[in-house]
Amino acid sequence: MMLALEMFRSVSRTMAGKAIGGRMPGVLSGFAAPLRLVTVEEPRVARPGWARLRTRLSGICGSDLGALSGRTSLYFSAVVSLPFVPGHEVVAELLDDCEDLPAGTRVVIDPVLACAARGVEPCEACAQGATNRCARITVGHLSPGLQTGFCHDTGGGWGEQLVAHRSQLHPVPDGFSDEQAILIEPVACAVHTALRAGVRAGDRVLVSGAGSVGLFATLALRELTEAGEIIVVAKHPHQRELARELGATEVVAPGEVLRRVRRSTGAFQLEPEFSSPYLLGGVDVAVDAVGSRPSLESALQATRAGGRVVLSGMPAGADLSAAWFRELEVVGTYASARADDAFARATELVAGDAVQQLAKSVANYPLHRWREALDHAHSAGRLGTVKVAFDPRSSS
Amino acid sequence: MSFLKETADDVRLVARGWRWGRRPQVPRSAEEWVPAARSTVFHTDWSRRRPAMAAREIAQKAGLEPLFRSQVRTRVEGLDVLERTEGPVIFVANHASHLDTPLILLSLPDEWRRRTAVAAAADYFFDTWWRAVGSSLLFNTFPIDRRGGSMAATPGEVLADGWSLVIYPEGTRSTDGWVGRFRMGAAFLAKEYGVPVVPVAHRGTFAAMPRGQGWPSPGRRQLTIRFGEPVVAGAEESVRDFSARVKDAVAALLDEDSSTWWEARRRAASGATPDPTGPKVAQWRRVWAQTQSPSAEAPARRLRAWSR
Amino acid sequence: MSRPGFVLEVDDRTPPLVVHEGLGFRLEDGFPLGTRVVYPPESIPAVPDVEDAIREALLHPHDSEPLPALLRPGMRLTIAFDDLSLPLPTMGAPDIRGRIIEQVLTMAAEAGVDDVQLIAANALHRRMTAAELKHIVGERVFRSFYPQGDLYNFDAEDRDGLAHLGTTDKGEDVEISKRAAESDLLVYVNVNLVAMDGGHKSVGIGLASYRSLRHHHNAKTMVHSRSFMDHKHSEMHHSAWRIGRLIKEHVRVFQIETTLNNDVFPRPFDFLQKREWEWSVKDQATMLGVRRGLAVAPQKMRHKMFHDLRSVYGLTGVNAGEVEAVHERTLQKVHQQHLVEVQGQSDVLVMGVPYLGPYNVNSSMNPILATCMGLGYYFNSYRGQPVVRKGGAVILYHPLDEGFNQLHHPSYVDFYEEVLAESTDPAVVGEKYEQQFAQDPWYIHLYRTSHAYHGVHPFYMWYWAAHAMDHVDEVIWVGADRRVASRLGFRAASTLADALEMASGTVGTSPSITYLHNPPHLLADVR
Repeated sequence: MMLALEMFRSVSRTMAGKAIGGRMPGVLSGFAAPLRLVTVEEPRVARPGWARLRTRLSGICGSDLGALSGRTSLYFSAVVSLPFVPGHEVVAELLDDCEDLPAGTRVVIDPVLACAARGVEPCEACAQGATNRCARITVGHLSPGLQTGFCHDTGGGWGEQLVAHRSQLHPVPDGFSDEQAILIEPVACAVHTALRAGVRAGDRVLVSGAGSVGLFATLALRELTEAGEIIVVAKHPHQRELARELGATEVVAPGEVLRRVRRSTGAFQLEPEFSSPYLLGGVDVAVDAVGSRPSLESALQATRAGGRVVLSGMPAGADLSAAWFRELEVVGTYASARADDAFARATELVAGDAVQQLAKSVANYPLHRWREALDHAHSAGRLGTVKVAFDPRSSS
Repeated sequence: MSFLKETADDVRLVARGWRWGRRPQVPRSAEEWVPAARSTVFHTDWSRRRPAMAAREIAQKAGLEPLFRSQVRTRVEGLDVLERTEGPVIFVANHASHLDTPLILLSLPDEWRRRTAVAAAADYFFDTWWRAVGSSLLFNTFPIDRRGGSMAATPGEVLADGWSLVIYPEGTRSTDGWVGRFRMGAAFLAKEYGVPVVPVAHRGTFAAMPRGQGWPSPGRRQLTIRFGEPVVAGAEESVRDFSARVKDAVAALLDEDSSTWWEARRRAASGATPDPTGPKVAQWRRVWAQTQSPSAEAPARRLRAWSR
Repeated sequence: MSRPGFVLEVDDRTPPLVVHEGLGFRLEDGFPLGTRVVYPPESIPAVPDVEDAIREALLHPHDSEPLPALLRPGMRLTIAFDDLSLPLPTMGAPDIRGRIIEQVLTMAAEAGVDDVQLIAANALHRRMTAAELKHIVGERVFRSFYPQGDLYNFDAEDRDGLAHLGTTDKGEDVEISKRAAESDLLVYVNVNLVAMDGGHKSVGIGLASYRSLRHHHNAKTMVHSRSFMDHKHSEMHHSAWRIGRLIKEHVRVFQIETTLNNDVFPRPFDFLQKREWEWSVKDQATMLGVRRGLAVAPQKMRHKMFHDLRSVYGLTGVNAGEVEAVHERTLQKVHQQHLVEVQGQSDVLVMGVPYLGPYNVNSSMNPILATCMGLGYYFNSYRGQPVVRKGGAVILYHPLDEGFNQLHHPSYVDFYEEVLAESTDPAVVGEKYEQQFAQDPWYIHLYRTSHAYHGVHPFYMWYWAAHAMDHVDEVIWVGADRRVASRLGFRAASTLADALEMASGTVGTSPSITYLHNPPHLLADVR
């Protein structure tokens, strides 16, 4: 038996979370989250290629918070299997030998549960290495679940143990701290984002948001593309500094975005009636790293005609007029693809100085202090933290 | 709450900064830039309007009169002249005490009293707002300048509005109870505006409450007051001559008050009216003589019909 | 009789003194004993008959033929006039410019002049609205010229409407309104509110384009304009004079300058221009009432209350004729109204920044304008030497909380958020960003079609303050938003005592202090 946080079906809590979670996250970590600390059976290994892992550290991602506060679209209800143990950003050590990896190896996992893990014939996407686009995420010998941490059978990082398939495992180089390693998965996603952004040499890029998604996207854009100016929208002073360190040329406050983009691109600003202003002209690529309606709309409004808007945060509903009128390419970016070699590239990026510094701010909580941890994660930006994580081994 | 507190703070700041209730002050370095002839006299127009008149009526009838009667006894003679006279007039009286004004006002018939204003020294009665308000409310005073300057309301305007005036031509209270030198202001006004002068003589106020005393002496002292025949300036008469005639009238009245009408008339006719400025003797004897309250019984021959 | 200005020395008899701070004022009773307070002269007498004075000036100009003699049928006549940045506050109707223009037009009509155009000399200022134009020129003139498009705002970005007249011997481009340059007679109607205005600055700056203005509107020139309220010692004016003389070779300019007295606050706010110790009980009561009213009124209402004030200026003089001859006489009057003799400099200069400056008429006093008002205009209100010593401290009162008017000051927002975030040094920001802002097509578009100040205008505001920033070591804002003050490169204090405490590092614990008690306007003649 092991200790784990479990997300369960609770209509009332989900409704309550939906009603108030977005505005009053503090309330959410109190009673409304459909989450509980339970003692459950450890997930079992039933097939070859799978191994048990002991969690060392597991991050709290924005999508986790969204799910807990009921903000996530019900679209995703079909691709999870309740109850499950959340946690898809995981650093763990192998309890069993797993093919070429001996027990005790420290690994990070690529959470996507694609064809390989599900033991089915590779689908078209997986065959091409686009594992994040796998079409079989509800079938095979696992319960439905788009990722580890959303699937009933595999367990997740917010418990003491979980199981994972060899295809998901990426060994952590020696010399990496756990805090550093926990950033590999989000950075891998950012690598994928940067590649999806289709940035050409000298392009102006707007990154809306300076939470972990935005900051890592900035890092990846700076390191992996030939972007010219990168304008990052940051709310909190701490984020401003980090954004600069990670490669932003300019950091602006949310209210200043449009004006600043207008100034640096020489665009024209229009003021529609009863609506927010937008630009004719603007940046070449905008990355929305928040997913909220204002953030997404400011990305749409600040992008030049024919430019590209990358949805990196889980998006809320927004006015898509600009996408139609300015012929924007709106592209999504979800997790990371094997073909990108995202984890290898992410590991390299995480080895850099800036990220090492950043890793020192990772805040660890034991499982039983989960309310505190969620509360912290909700206001991470203001509190100067980039990542909040659970350490199930810790008891204090 | 904070608004109330700030308001209180503001008011306190202004009250302190501008010395509410006290003399305003000019910073030393600004003194040379402040116009010198700044009039500090308060306006008294309001005191001759209806609300103030009503307030004065109450103050005089309910406050001043009972108090006055409780402290002194009065004998009033010669009011019949007012029945024969059309206002406005100028009452010219000798001045020996702060009791003079209430004595004259309270001796006048009500309809005269209500329309009578008292000329008061601007530099004394009108240099603080509370004294100005108090005296003009109670005694219907208006300021005149003893040194000759312009005033907010001139006596002429008050006269022209139909108000009778009480003027003490001596300009100040007597130091020994005897009559001092008459200035010509009253005579000038009477001639200028063509109003008659009613001479008024009173005795005993110096004995009851001399200069320097804040309250009448105990024992209900006797005061006497006598109104004389109106004196009208002749068309060709100079202010100087007229002023002398007014003074003579007051002197004759004083004589009459201390003796009898007949004796006083005879002395006046022979030019032997005693000098109201008193004998040229030692100061103590002058004061001594005046500290004697007049007797209500003298003269013995007293006609009830004429008294009041 | 109007009394001259004087210097008060704060002593224990001094009541609290009024210090303006934006949309309100403070009663400051914290001035240390011995603080010098400079009071402007009281309003000098106005001319008895304005119409008569104008006619007299037009018929007997200085160094010029009478105006009627210059008018003939078939000529091109252009009348230019100062925009709404003068006078401050706006004059109650009828505006003096309108009254003058009416007389000029009457003479022109009598002479049979057909081709007449009226241009508001707003240079890079915002275009005025029709209502604002109408207020200045009067209903009659407005109705006769505006609908036909013969009364309009100058457009410094209309390439086809500009004429390059050459360069001065110092290499300054002279580019002004083409219509004005090609007129047979250019009549300029000015309001000479302060000593800075008028003279060759009228045409040479009011009708000039950026190409011409950049030669004198820059940090280097402004640092060497000491002060720009004294044209004989102002680099900016020297440049304007060179430009003006060159213009004179191309076009006949008939300058009409007017001077106003100091009656800036109408009833019931007239207590603001009285000396505090002379306040009557009524003044004190009004002041308390106004202060309490301001305390509860929301900012919008306070803004409206102040900006709806219309001043009741008296005209103290009107002179017409040749620019320099006229300006000399004008300055005499201005000095008579504003000049106050001050003995020696002090360590600390205190100034209250009021709700209004030249560039926020009917708009908001944003932090950059407040800086320009305090460190630009008020600091430079001196002749001889600055009121504060080199390396001293300046203490300003203003809450810096009015925000930006997006319609009028779009480029200010970017200047504040982007440029000042990087540097507050006038020379540095000018070097790096001025061109970008001056040539930004959107700003140009807004300047030409909307009611926006030109993109480069916030830089000028910052240059205006360059001399002060160069001269003093410490600038502290009393009652200001701390974050805004720090963005501007200054510090904020909540009270005068705190500000003096903060300044003590620079000027010691018992500095000599001078407070300039304006508005109304004053010009400190520092000996």
